[in-house]
Amino acid sequence: MALESFYSAIDGMLADAQACLLGVDSPEGVESMRIQFTGAKNGALKTIQKLLGTVPAEDKPAAGKRFNEAREAIEQLLLQAADRAGGKPKAVTGPLVDPTLPGLRPRMGVLHPITQTLEHLKEIMGRLGFNVTEGPEIEDEWHNFVALNIPEDHPARDPLDNFYLSAAKATVPSTGARLLRSQTSTVQIRVMESTPLPLRIISLGRVYRPDAPDATHFPMFHQMEGLWVDKNVTMAQLKSVLRLFATSYLGGDVNVRFRPSFFPFTEPSVEVDYWWNGQWIEFGGAGMVDPNVFRAVGIDPEEWSGFAFGLGVERLCMRRFGITDIRDLYRSDVRFLRQFAS
Amino acid sequence: MLVSWEWLSDYVKLDAPLEQVVDKWALSGLNHESTEWVEGVPVIDLEVTSNRADCLGHIGVAREASVLFSKPLTIPRPEFVEVSEEATSIVSVENQFEEACSRYTARVIRGVKVGPSPEWFAKRLRSIGVKPINNVVDVTNYVMMEIGQPLHAFDLSRVLGGKIVVRRAVDKETFVAIDHRTYALDSQMVVIADAKGPLALGGVMGGLESEVSESTVDLLIEAASFAPMSIRRAARKLKLHSPSSYRFERRIDPNGLDWASRRCCQLIQQLAGGVILEGVVDSKQEVVRGAVVSLRRARVHQVLGIEVPWAQSKRILEQLGCEVTAATDTELNLVAPTYRQDLTREADLIEEIVRVVGYDAIPEDAMVPMVSSARRPKDIMMGTLRAVACASGFDETLNPSLIGKGATDRISPWCAQDPLATSVPLLEGAAVLRRSLVPSLIAARLHNQSQSIRDVRLFETANVYLPQGEGLPKEQLNFGCIAESDPRIIRGVFEECLGRIWGSGVEAIEERVVEFDFMERGTGIAWYVDGVMLAWVGSLSKALAQSSKIEGAVAIGELDLDMLLSRAVLVPRLRVLSPYPAILRDLNFIVDEGVQWQGLRRTIEVAAGKLCKEVVFREIYRDTKKDGAGKKRILLTLTIQSDEETLRSEQADALVASVITACQGEHAAQLLS
Repeated sequence: MALESFYSAIDGMLADAQACLLGVDSPEGVESMRIQFTGAKNGALKTIQKLLGTVPAEDKPAAGKRFNEAREAIEQLLLQAADRAGGKPKAVTGPLVDPTLPGLRPRMGVLHPITQTLEHLKEIMGRLGFNVTEGPEIEDEWHNFVALNIPEDHPARDPLDNFYLSAAKATVPSTGARLLRSQTSTVQIRVMESTPLPLRIISLGRVYRPDAPDATHFPMFHQMEGLWVDKNVTMAQLKSVLRLFATSYLGGDVNVRFRPSFFPFTEPSVEVDYWWNGQWIEFGGAGMVDPNVFRAVGIDPEEWSGFAFGLGVERLCMRRFGITDIRDLYRSDVRFLRQFAS
Repeated sequence: MLVSWEWLSDYVKLDAPLEQVVDKWALSGLNHESTEWVEGVPVIDLEVTSNRADCLGHIGVAREASVLFSKPLTIPRPEFVEVSEEATSIVSVENQFEEACSRYTARVIRGVKVGPSPEWFAKRLRSIGVKPINNVVDVTNYVMMEIGQPLHAFDLSRVLGGKIVVRRAVDKETFVAIDHRTYALDSQMVVIADAKGPLALGGVMGGLESEVSESTVDLLIEAASFAPMSIRRAARKLKLHSPSSYRFERRIDPNGLDWASRRCCQLIQQLAGGVILEGVVDSKQEVVRGAVVSLRRARVHQVLGIEVPWAQSKRILEQLGCEVTAATDTELNLVAPTYRQDLTREADLIEEIVRVVGYDAIPEDAMVPMVSSARRPKDIMMGTLRAVACASGFDETLNPSLIGKGATDRISPWCAQDPLATSVPLLEGAAVLRRSLVPSLIAARLHNQSQSIRDVRLFETANVYLPQGEGLPKEQLNFGCIAESDPRIIRGVFEECLGRIWGSGVEAIEERVVEFDFMERGTGIAWYVDGVMLAWVGSLSKALAQSSKIEGAVAIGELDLDMLLSRAVLVPRLRVLSPYPAILRDLNFIVDEGVQWQGLRRTIEVAAGKLCKEVVFREIYRDTKKDGAGKKRILLTLTIQSDEETLRSEQADALVASVITACQGEHAAQLLS
């Protein structure tokens, strides 16, 4: 039998079943229809199933599929007719489906809230034209201090305020002091040393400062540093970029306030606050790149100007997620971490 | 810096209410910490940045207020009558250590009557937290809190022969300070000594021996200038921080010695009587000239992005104490005051102008030109990696970069050299820069285990620090994983990452069975590219698991993300699919336990040739009843497909037959039919 003939036999049977079942109004009527169409011996379906055997081999899969669909359709029609006829549903035996059971939820991992914050910052700053750069965490004094205009007698260079690497074994001659970077500003220097101007970059990463751990301090934390060097970059642009950033990060209309401060690598230097939700929030430090920093990397401060800013990522992260103890971020407790699924 | 509102009014009369003044200070550089009322007087705690030593005295703070509110500043005139006897006739100063003490001056007052200070005077000191001692010591403290120059009064009778020597301390020399404690000095510290020994630790603290007491009659008043580095070092080393060391560390006004010394004498005479000898004993009479700086009008606008009226700029700088030596419409030449040693360059002057004008004047809607910017390949790769890890049930952790000594600190699959360490530990006991992420991940798993959270899967992406000879260490970005029991869980994550990030580049990977001492024997596998390790996976050795108290079997692994990135193909390219149907054949081999998938797969691939598109491992199971001990069954599926034609089943049969023959020959594999 050709496939087309088989299909029309099925269609005929389905039309027949639909017509017959429409007039049925008693459980007995439904039962007789069930026998007529799905009866094991001479039911209409059985007859069609026999025809299936005569379909050419290559058409069998398609024909079989169609047959199964027809069987399901008839069973549906019978069920509907039984409902209409008001007969008692047949008592079901065997295991029952419990549709109220919880779903088979995949156990997916969660990104650390600091990673989420870093990615968020990269995304916002990227839209403002700042490209991501990186630098090493273990630095020499040139990049961590000297080039950043932090002179030898500056308190920031005190060995007790930094993680200097202890001298390796006596057999290795000392090659100058190395330390875990105390700020991501080191990357500014590396980028300016190696990248043609103008540039607009951010660098994010771990920094290290000896601090006794408590709810708001941890000796390792993350910073985001921004740097824009071009002809005629002004403090007004610094303020504007920081406002655009804050508006994107915090949402709503945010105002920026500068308070004078002191950092060796910027002049003028400011602390940046945001007016948000009715209060001033400390954001971080910023300023115009100090001419000494430009000179240290061979850039003429008469020709180029720029601004830099730095902020603590933990503080932003903690504010965003309502985290109250910085130490929780570095305890690896999955009950803590899994709260920040997003 | 604690500032008494009442004391301040000696120098500047302000109409503005306290709150307004405090706000203005905060927005011009003196951050407001708090205000407290002490004995009925407001006392304001101001945070003074380290470049503003001039504000470590009431006069400096008053000067700020006078500029901000355009009120005159009144500085007391330290005048007094001297007797004709010259100070130099009874006191001498020899400075042997100019690097640490650039200038030392001494004045002499005779016949003082030491006693308590008058109440109004004592109250001022109390209000800013200085304990009144006696009228002489109180005056030295008062003047320090007035102008920021530390002073010291010696009982002249305790200075042997009136001869002051400023010298290096002798190593291990001891000194009893006025706090009654004994300090062991070293040769980098500066002492004020007489022939007998140290009288004071220069710039830090006076000595008990020569302190002014009720019985003191004659005084030697020291006003000196000590080098910041030297003072900081001494104060740090001895853990002896004083208001004096705090000010010297921040660099005092080198020309302020004389005023402070005179003011001190004037007030002592007022409070304790006595006569002031003529003149001063001075180790180095000199006037330090302030920095000569010029300011270009155009530059102010270039830096700030706003126009400040030129006359206003000039006025601000003058009010702050700069002496304008030449002024044109476009440029100012001036000399900065020596109490403002932070003003040495044009940029410093611009900051002065803008902080007095107020940063509010700077707009926050300036134009920011657009530039192109795109995610780096690395960020894209990290996104893929994190998505795979999270989808596989791994939670991300971040752990300190330094680890402590313990059972696991020797885990170092990437480098055989000893780890780097810091001189101060990051956290208690953690001073070793990790060479692998695994020790941290084990600690993280342990922490969760202790909270009764089992079967955690964790990952971290962070640098490891691999020493390499003498240069900077190699910082290698790693992807580290820990999971329960089966290393294939981690291997699968790595395979998925590699497949997504390298695409067909994975063919360059050579897989080797490896043994690391921290792994359970026979569980380790590593991937190499051009002989360099890209990743490894295995089970933590039972011995290490036991000694670190980890329960159950633990799988660990690391992937070098720097190498991963170096060959990343981040945009997948279409591969044309064969239009002809594939034939799948399942094969079930019985083999010896020792036969490994890697070898079997290679045999199959070679035997099947290029019509075999894929060899998929299904499972291993054992049926010792049927097959006997030492045997296992490996079930696999071959996908056989041609790009040129529809294969007939005889072709597939022939291919499968050659596979079976090869597996029999090379691995003694028996096909289960």
